[in-house]
Amino acid sequence: MKQKNSLPAIFLTPAMMILAVLALVPTVYAIYISLQNRELSRPDGDFVGLANYIDLFSDRRFINAIGVSLTWEAVTVGMTLIVAVGLGILLFECASPRMRNILALLFLMPVILPRVSAAFVWKFAFHPLYGIATYPYKAITGQPLDLLSNPATALATVALVDVWQWGLFFSVIVLKLLQTLPPQPFEAARLDHARTWETYTHIAIPMLKAPLISLAFVKMIESLRAFDLIYVMTRGGPGITTETLDMYAFSQGFIESGRISYASSMAVLMMIATSIVFTFIWKRVQ
Amino acid sequence: MSARKLGRLVGRILLLVAAFSAVFPVFWTLLNAFKNRVDIVTPTPLFIFTPTLDNFAYVLGRESVFAGLINSLIISGASVLIGALLGLPAAYAIARYPNRWSRDVQFFVLSLRFLPPVAIAIPLMVIWLDFGLYDTRLSMIVTYTLLTLATVIWLSVPAFARVPKEVEEAARVDGYGPYAIFFLIALPIALRSLIGAVAFAFVLVWNEFLIALMLTTSDAKTLPIVASELTQLGRDVPWGILNASVVLLSIPPLLFIGVLSGMLNSAFKRKTS
Repeated sequence: MKQKNSLPAIFLTPAMMILAVLALVPTVYAIYISLQNRELSRPDGDFVGLANYIDLFSDRRFINAIGVSLTWEAVTVGMTLIVAVGLGILLFECASPRMRNILALLFLMPVILPRVSAAFVWKFAFHPLYGIATYPYKAITGQPLDLLSNPATALATVALVDVWQWGLFFSVIVLKLLQTLPPQPFEAARLDHARTWETYTHIAIPMLKAPLISLAFVKMIESLRAFDLIYVMTRGGPGITTETLDMYAFSQGFIESGRISYASSMAVLMMIATSIVFTFIWKRVQ
Repeated sequence: MSARKLGRLVGRILLLVAAFSAVFPVFWTLLNAFKNRVDIVTPTPLFIFTPTLDNFAYVLGRESVFAGLINSLIISGASVLIGALLGLPAAYAIARYPNRWSRDVQFFVLSLRFLPPVAIAIPLMVIWLDFGLYDTRLSMIVTYTLLTLATVIWLSVPAFARVPKEVEEAARVDGYGPYAIFFLIALPIALRSLIGAVAFAFVLVWNEFLIALMLTTSDAKTLPIVASELTQLGRDVPWGILNASVVLLSIPPLLFIGVLSGMLNSAFKRKTS
């Protein structure tokens, strides 16, 4: 029998109150600002109704940013999972326990780095003249390779850094997931002369479907935080080829025109879209 | 048989390539931090050079970097402390006293992570401006508490749930009250995972960039902002200094790599048994 006690209320209330205030006040305020025409230089604004939202839909840079953001999500989530599952299986299959422990620690390192650091490390590595990653190309062809200034490769190059951070990290999780599987189905498959890769495509990956979907979900949320990498590596350029929604909202609100209300309406739309999509996925995953 | 052996060999080589890619860029940055500019700006990468401490001396001697370091330590430290003090008890209450709202509370805490940082930063900027608290450590600490508190709760609920119920039951029979059970039993038993959760929250806010970029301009700038400003310098880039500041920025989170990998291990080990 549980007797009445004060612990849950006393432990839970302060934390929840603070979270609710800290989350709701900005959210409500974002909507409030988005209905005005405030600018950084002019602290007072008038209500303009939904004008900002209507303007957004004829703003080609906004439409472009939606496309870039969706591409970014698809590429980083997809590549991260492919790298994670591939390396996770290799860790499980080919590495001795000691090697696994060492590699797991090394694979954790990129994701713990501040994104600003990761972005700079790679920005410098991709430097057309002095970069270590572009050096082999330069040595062989005699031409500099400038991946970050090329509209065709810039986004993929930034995405590579994201996959470097998350794919390696998730491979460690995939390894741990594989270690939790019971060995019997694998032995049975081996007795049936199944090839190694078949035991994975037919047994292991289907058994791990639920946790892998959860990993994809986590990565989808984390991929929304592309800003740091893009800000340091390309600032949305060349042109607007790597300008994601948060990058565009930032430059509208701060760099170019200080149109906070306009930026805020973009932020509100992002908030609504992500809340709907992720709530829907979360309920499905559960 | 030999095909399998060959496959193993190829697999190992791929793993080594991955390990190399994980470590080498960071190692290279570290190396460059000890180089003079002439040794960095070379047509072929240099592995052998006369190391110099000038870059670190310059970075640490620069007022902006030092101020950023202090700001980062105070802001991250305080927000993590508040997050832990309020978040750990809350997580325990969710894990041990489930009621009909527990799932909703957990979902609410997770859903905070869905919010695009831009969407929080823009209104908060206006709010802090109106309060006259824009670009202060206080406003940054309050803002970051949203991140640390949610993260600590989210990661500590499973840690408390893994504490064997029998142990707490036995303590209750021995006459321990609910608070004594939390402080004397649950907290010490779950301590290792909880330290991991708190360390993760610290790494998260230490590395945070977008919100800090929007909410600070001079007085409360954190180290990632200062470092990113250095990386945007013009043509005649002081590469050595840049590399040194990136190394400096990366050291604190990397110190926690052992704790975080331990947390990962315990999260998966218990699930199997």
